Amino acid sequence: MERLISLGSDIARLWAAYAPSYLKGVSNTLILAVAATFIGCLIGLLCGILNTIPYTPRDPLAKRLVLKLVRIVVRIYVEVFRGTPMVLQAVFIFYGIPYFTGVNPFKGNSGIWLCALIVVSINTGAYMAESVRGGIISIDPGQTEGAKAIGMNHVQTMTSVILPQAIRNIIPQIGNNFIINIKDTSVMFVIGFIEFFATHRNIVGVNLMYFPSATIEMIGYLCMTLVASFLLRRLEKLMDGSDSYELVRTDPLATTAGTYNHPKQPEDLLERNLETKDGGMTHV
Amino acid sequence: MSDSILEVRHLSKAFGANVVLRDIDFTVRPGDVTSIIGASGSGKSTLLRCINLLETPTSGEVLFHGTDITARGYDATAYRAKVGMVFQSFNLFNNMTVLENCMVGQIKVLKKHKEDARANAMRYLEQVGMAPYINARPRQLSGGQKQRVAIARALAMEPEVLLFDEPTSALDPEMVGEVLSVMQDLAKNGMTMLVVTHEMAFARDVSNHVVFMADGVICEQGAPQELFNHPQQARTQEFLSRFRAN
Repeated sequence: MERLISLGSDIARLWAAYAPSYLKGVSNTLILAVAATFIGCLIGLLCGILNTIPYTPRDPLAKRLVLKLVRIVVRIYVEVFRGTPMVLQAVFIFYGIPYFTGVNPFKGNSGIWLCALIVVSINTGAYMAESVRGGIISIDPGQTEGAKAIGMNHVQTMTSVILPQAIRNIIPQIGNNFIINIKDTSVMFVIGFIEFFATHRNIVGVNLMYFPSATIEMIGYLCMTLVASFLLRRLEKLMDGSDSYELVRTDPLATTAGTYNHPKQPEDLLERNLETKDGGMTHV
Repeated sequence: MSDSILEVRHLSKAFGANVVLRDIDFTVRPGDVTSIIGASGSGKSTLLRCINLLETPTSGEVLFHGTDITARGYDATAYRAKVGMVFQSFNLFNNMTVLENCMVGQIKVLKKHKEDARANAMRYLEQVGMAPYINARPRQLSGGQKQRVAIARALAMEPEVLLFDEPTSALDPEMVGEVLSVMQDLAKNGMTMLVVTHEMAFARDVSNHVVFMADGVICEQGAPQELFNHPQQARTQEFLSRFRAN
């Protein structure tokens, strides 16, 4: 109990002294995670679409070769960025590009931001590419056939029919990636990016209050991820739309065509019932 | 021959070593209602899917107004916009309402204005008796209702031919009637239709040409009265006797 009280007072002291730094760290983490998840999703969507463009032996050779090449490139991208640690990728890109080109595109604070954004985005993109591919192939092939049958091309089929359903299905995956990004952006400290965790490192470097500061970090990260998963669930509900629908009352004259066999038109149903009743009675 | 809409010539289709269609020949003229009947697995659906290029024929030709649609570089999407298809499993777009299902093709493919597309969609939804349900989603409808919406969606594209792939096979018996009567109406109004069906009464009474398929070949074809009353081939007689026994 005593320890808890002293932990509380330590946290209070830390917070009083460094609240702006912590909050700045939170905001950097969130901005980077949101932006990188968003861009990563776009990359993933693009790769997913490129990967699922159908081709038949009927198509010209050039088209088939290009599509095969595209699939190979996407495959390599996914395997490389999914299969190596993000912390190394950051180092590789941050120091590798100046090493090879002799020009440093990542100068100053904005350079660090740019590099962090690129690394986290393409990393997320590599994971999302597979999720999107899974989302697309999970949609009933009948949906594609229905779209093709009314003359839609591949892009129209994708944007109007398949992706809206696939994206709905991969929202849990996007949520996963977003939450992973909130936490894993912390490895960007290797290139000097000051987010929530790097803030903690800087602060404890001065006053050595490791545990109280780590407690603030834990609570901070948990709050961020809880809010994120709450919002994502709301988004899912929103995309599912309403469970009920309203019948539209239309002009009775306008519905005459075809309604003779319409089971849900009350008047129609009534008339038919009367007819059969009458018929039955005459026979009796 | 120029008066035909669709002409299937020596069409064959194999999945690997498995040959499912062999040397299919028949012609669809404007206003024809052609029924394709035969046992399950005889290749009826594959034939229809080849005609709509959902499957690529292995050899042979399908002529649409005299042009071979199976030729390399033929614009399949433009062709499909003119040839409607109704599926056994409806294939309505699950992410859209009934009305949107009937509008999306007109807007995206035919480049119609939203208001025109809406008015047109409403017209056909009224024709199939689904106008009150325009705000419903496919998952909220019964099978028969879904199939009527699917027919309206195909009609809204104002196709020259409408292909039906066993449109009533996935329906409860009491829903078959509502779909068949919509199709009967279409036939009366002069719609050109090619129908793969197990509804023998429909084939006999509504269509003016019947194609009987067995084991991937056309066994016999002709006017329904002829084929149903005086089948020439043993296979046809056997198939039809089973149907009469029921």
